[in-house]
Amino acid sequence: MNKTAVLDLFFGILLVTAGVGLLLGLYTGLIRLGLSMPTAFELGAIAHGPLMINGFLATLISLERGAALEKLWSYIAPFSFFLATILLLTGSVYPGGFFLLLGSLFLLIIMGYLCYLQSVVHHYIMATGAAVLFIGNILYILHYPVYELIGWWIAFPLLTIFGERLELNRIMRPPKKAQHLFAGLIAAWILTLIIIHFNRDSAWLFNSIILIGISGWLIRYDVARRTIKSIEWTRYSAWCLLTGYGWLIIAGILGIFYGLPAAGFIYDALLHVFFVGFVFSMIFAHASVIIPSLTGKLVPWSRYFYLPFFLLHGFLLIRILGDLLFQYSIRSIGSYGNVAAILLFLGGIIFQLTRESVRELNKRKNVL
Amino acid sequence: MINESDIRSEAATKLKDVIDPELGVNIVDLGLIYQMYLREGKTFVVIYTTTTPGCPMRRYLQRKIEEALQSIKDIDAFETEMVFEPEWTVDMIVEGVEFFSVPPPILSDY
Repeated sequence: MNKTAVLDLFFGILLVTAGVGLLLGLYTGLIRLGLSMPTAFELGAIAHGPLMINGFLATLISLERGAALEKLWSYIAPFSFFLATILLLTGSVYPGGFFLLLGSLFLLIIMGYLCYLQSVVHHYIMATGAAVLFIGNILYILHYPVYELIGWWIAFPLLTIFGERLELNRIMRPPKKAQHLFAGLIAAWILTLIIIHFNRDSAWLFNSIILIGISGWLIRYDVARRTIKSIEWTRYSAWCLLTGYGWLIIAGILGIFYGLPAAGFIYDALLHVFFVGFVFSMIFAHASVIIPSLTGKLVPWSRYFYLPFFLLHGFLLIRILGDLLFQYSIRSIGSYGNVAAILLFLGGIIFQLTRESVRELNKRKNVL
Repeated sequence: MINESDIRSEAATKLKDVIDPELGVNIVDLGLIYQMYLREGKTFVVIYTTTTPGCPMRRYLQRKIEEALQSIKDIDAFETEMVFEPEWTVDMIVEGVEFFSVPPPILSDY
């Protein structure tokens, strides 16, 4: 087996594990809502956050970045996140913690290597994303309560995406001043994450104000404002991006008014505005690019994808409304709707890819 | 006798069908193809880059470039090499290109 075949095999296995991480994360989210089914692992509601961050997002992001380097060592990060997920779920806390840190460390090494190859601002922002995950996971291993480290976990996907958008939007040729402003806002935003540990309320207030600034920058300079006039995936992606930035502004407004609580309805609202409203919007937006990079196949466009888009945002609004009104039943409806939206999106992607493969197979048969 | 210029011209035409899904533009107009030549009259070599070393589309583009080269009858053997020097910049994009247009645009006279 040559190196490419080995890497392809690794890649396939790890892609499935990221999918498993997502499904387990969604399932534990449902456990939080009171759903209970017999499982092989002892899955608890408390596993929801760590699973979504490490089991899904960190595995996927490290796989995507690691695969770009085409080096065997770059697969250590996603493989470690996968092992950590399994070990932590089966109760092996110490080896699980070890692999969690190993995965975070190797993701940082991957991003550091990219900075070494090209010393550019967007690489440094993404590398900072890996660094904040590392910090968050160290605190997690040291048994810090999740509400104390959540800022670091939130920052991981956000910084990764901010870096990616800055990278892509080079084609918009934003003025140097605007680029410096963006880097400055992000640096200030990261600073507030540190200050949270000393003065939670003030730090989160500034964090939220700066976040609104970052969102404004993205709306102003992202190519999405142009591509929203396009068609198919390009238009869809633009809608997802702009809606995601809108959710960031809402997160900022919630943060200004309510701060960063340690638990309860507002805590739930804030976290899901970030992770569902922004992060999943970005996943929906980038799917038409992520999927070919992961599978080598383009996803044929279908208007169907607007269904999960509307369900995701519609049910998130319901969820946030439930949280703001302190109504558990309304929040619950929104949560189930969000899980359904994500599964419908995933199902749509798998259906389109399968249908395209069958078409290609039939074409080849006809040629023969 | 194979004419290197003809092969290069055909390769460029085929490579214009390879679209970078992130930008919706073909890789020739994006300026990602740095060099194409026939080595020792046998092996056709394509030296290319990606918009960034951490480009998640790397595997996809590599596969599509290989498919494009395989479809050229006059090429018996080929090699592709990805490089990061010189560093790709937006200035390498063909002037006037429209991003994300459907169908993707073809501008250059490579």
